[in-house]
Amino acid sequence: MSDNRQDPFEIAYLRERKIRRAAEQLLEDKTRMLHQRNLELSKTNEQLMQQQTSMLKQEKLATLGTLAAGVAHEINNPLAFVTSNISALEAYHHAYHELFKYVKALREKMSSDKVDALDEEIKKLDLDYLDEDLPMLMNETLEGLERVKKIVLSLRNFARSQEGERALSDLNEGIRSTLRLVQSEIKQGIEVKLKLEDLPLVRCNPSEINQVVLNIIVNAAHATRDRPKPYIYISSSTDENNVYISIEDNGSGMSQHTMENLFMPFFTTKPIGEGTGMGMAIAHKIIEDHGGDLQVSSNEGVGSHFTLRLPITSDQ
Amino acid sequence: MKGVIFNVLEELVIETSGMVAWNNILAAAGSDGIYTSGASYDDAELFALVEQVCKALELPAETVVGIFGEYLFDQLDARHPDFVANAPDLRSFLMSVDTVIHGEVLKLYTNPNLPRFDYQNHGDGHLTMNYRSPRKLCLLAEGLIRGAAKRYDAQVSIEHKVCMHHGADHCQLDVSIS
Repeated sequence: MSDNRQDPFEIAYLRERKIRRAAEQLLEDKTRMLHQRNLELSKTNEQLMQQQTSMLKQEKLATLGTLAAGVAHEINNPLAFVTSNISALEAYHHAYHELFKYVKALREKMSSDKVDALDEEIKKLDLDYLDEDLPMLMNETLEGLERVKKIVLSLRNFARSQEGERALSDLNEGIRSTLRLVQSEIKQGIEVKLKLEDLPLVRCNPSEINQVVLNIIVNAAHATRDRPKPYIYISSSTDENNVYISIEDNGSGMSQHTMENLFMPFFTTKPIGEGTGMGMAIAHKIIEDHGGDLQVSSNEGVGSHFTLRLPITSDQ
Repeated sequence: MKGVIFNVLEELVIETSGMVAWNNILAAAGSDGIYTSGASYDDAELFALVEQVCKALELPAETVVGIFGEYLFDQLDARHPDFVANAPDLRSFLMSVDTVIHGEVLKLYTNPNLPRFDYQNHGDGHLTMNYRSPRKLCLLAEGLIRGAAKRYDAQVSIEHKVCMHHGADHCQLDVSIS
């Protein structure tokens, strides 16, 4: 009950003030809620943008995969007959060389006017140089063809769609055998530390997974080449659903540009002719085909850290 | 300056001197007295009102601003009790002003022109608060600190040796809590 002696206008003023405060409080609460929602929306938007970028990347890789398959197929056919023809030419050259040797031997028994004519002809056709140069040309051509073959094989591996042979495999054993294989690549002085936890058997194509591990270790070995106290730490671990292989080095690390293009086919930081730029693209594709992922973090001048995750599938 | 500060000044004057006094102050300051808490108003308008309050009460500006600071703390605490509830003691409350409280204010208002505080916690109940604001309302800050001390039932003494009003780039408030 209000005091009857109090000014009714003052009572009304105080009541209105209360109402105003309540309205302002409501406005504040709503503003705070709006701010919170805005934060959530910004976060969701950022996630969507990241997913979109990732999807575009995946799409680009898928398109490149199709393209790679087509290119590999188109190159493979002429490559087969060029390789076969070169092998035949090599044999033909052998026959020609024997003939040339025979003619040279006959020359000794020829009359001087015939020798002069023969020498004139040999000189005119530059047959001495040709006989000497042909084997080198053949060798270089064969080496070139071998490189083309490797590139085509890489393209086919990148584009392959079938699962390949999968079996329950011990990934730790795979790591150990891969390390033995790359021993020559790992220069003396690089400390290689292994910390392998007991892992469940994982259904995978073990040679493909070994190929991924090998690629990463070889890259790590190259990156640590000129570093002080170089190391490569390899570890394996597991949780309820996945197994993880971690490969960490204190090598030269990667620039932002390299990180962004790491899994792109034909992207390489090596000099021309030293790398096809397909290693990490294939590695990424292999792990993706196995339902896992390949995470990488790197700091330029500090080192790189690859984490390979493979799911322990329920059909084990 | 946010309208809520004007609202609290109005409440203080009406509570202590009545509505007529507030109407006279508004008239003398040439203000219509319509302030919404979330809106921003010219700082000069608040200073003109405070000047008229000083004249009406025949008190120096330092005293009026100090008293207003203490009262302002009570009113803001009544509107936003969570800040005090979440700080167990005066020291932690004062240290939460710059990040926690002003952080919340920033969620509600765009460009609220908040003062900045940085702290040196000397650990023996002695805290240095460095105040920076182009408004130079360090005396209001002192009043707010005293209001907070009352709320926490703590005794404080504030030394204010370095002051923006004497040419420094910040005010140094050395707060001793007992």
